[in-house]
Amino acid sequence: MKKAISVICLILTFFLIYFLQSNFFTWFTIAGVMPNLFIILVLFIGLYVKKKMGLKLGILFGLYLDIVLGSNIGIYTICLGGIGIFGEILSKNFSKDSRFIVTLMVIISTILFETTAYILGILRSGGSLELIAFFKILLIEVIFNTLITIIIYPIIKKAGYYLENLFDDKFMITRYF
Amino acid sequence: MRKNKKTGIVGVIITTIVLVIIVIMSNINIEDMSNVESILSTLVMPVQNGITYLKNKIKGNNDFFTDISALKQENEELKKKNDEIAQQLREFEIIKAENETLKEYVNLKDKYTEYQTVPAYIINRDISNYNNIVIINVGEDDGIKVNMPVIANNGLVGHVISVTKNTSKVQTLLDTSSAVSGVAGTARDTLILKGNLEQENMLKGTYIQTTASILEGDKVETSGLGGIYPKGITIGTIKQIINTKNLSNRYALIEPAVNIEKVETVLVITN
Repeated sequence: MKKAISVICLILTFFLIYFLQSNFFTWFTIAGVMPNLFIILVLFIGLYVKKKMGLKLGILFGLYLDIVLGSNIGIYTICLGGIGIFGEILSKNFSKDSRFIVTLMVIISTILFETTAYILGILRSGGSLELIAFFKILLIEVIFNTLITIIIYPIIKKAGYYLENLFDDKFMITRYF
Repeated sequence: MRKNKKTGIVGVIITTIVLVIIVIMSNINIEDMSNVESILSTLVMPVQNGITYLKNKIKGNNDFFTDISALKQENEELKKKNDEIAQQLREFEIIKAENETLKEYVNLKDKYTEYQTVPAYIINRDISNYNNIVIINVGEDDGIKVNMPVIANNGLVGHVISVTKNTSKVQTLLDTSSAVSGVAGTARDTLILKGNLEQENMLKGTYIQTTASILEGDKVETSGLGGIYPKGITIGTIKQIINTKNLSNRYALIEPAVNIEKVETVLVITN
């Protein structure tokens, strides 16, 4: 029951982020560039919830974004699903106790997500490749996501460990003994 | 442990302040410096008023000794009047905003009488930094179909790329995968206009013929080629022509006639 409520809360968080992205962050930008909070959310799910939940919810969120806002079905789905798996892989190999490590994970995920989405977008729609402009936007987006991660890290840590305890039954034993 | 927690909170506060400063600094225009000027003058004004008051007093201004109670009464009456006027002003502002929206609709309809159009509002925008797609509040039920052109008061906005019952997705001219055939100037030289990441809110006019005689300031309209956009709809104005060593590679930067980032009311051409 608690697990189901937690998943519903994650879905509600997605919608909260959706409204923030399409309203607040359309004017709260750095040089016209918005952050991408969906990457942080899906990475967070992959890191702490595990059990392929990052992949499942990443695909679900991506599909919603593709249908509602995207010009090509599949780009957000593939990229957010990929971030979900990436989060789980990172969770198995690295500690999440450090703000620095989590921020670094967000930076790498943002770069991977945006690069894949941009290349897939060009392949699907046939736009021209503008590498310098792309890297400029990517750099600003990475900085924006980094700053947001640093700000919300206490929430990420608290909610993350709660979810980790809830979804992983063995976790308590391995963590404290 | 307590120290670490404290440091963490301080870190969060500092990062938040840094983020807000970066956002403000990166979005500020030089023209907006008037706000800074007004803030600075607000800081200086009380001191300035005090100095002026002292100066007047020294000069022998006896107005200071006028009946204070009469002044208080007058002040109360004026405050009351001020409140009433402020209330009226708020009401006028609401009526004005409604009037503006209605006018916009009427103007749009009158301007493009040769086309059958459906008015629409932009209800959402793409969350990506690399695409420029907007969602409008009309769909299949209103007769909207894929590839229908979308215009605003000053010119072209884009075209419909997908439709649901009540909403439609519009790919704007600024989208990097959008391409429109246009003609520029009196010589009607053709060029292809594309959205690009490099020059924000500008279109890149490419495939300009080597014999073309386009100039900065020339108006660009749709050529009617391509089967989506009708002929003669204003796209924008040539702001800059970038010449390269090879003449066939030169391109033009075109400022769209419609401020796509801010437009709210559009028309979908249905015929």
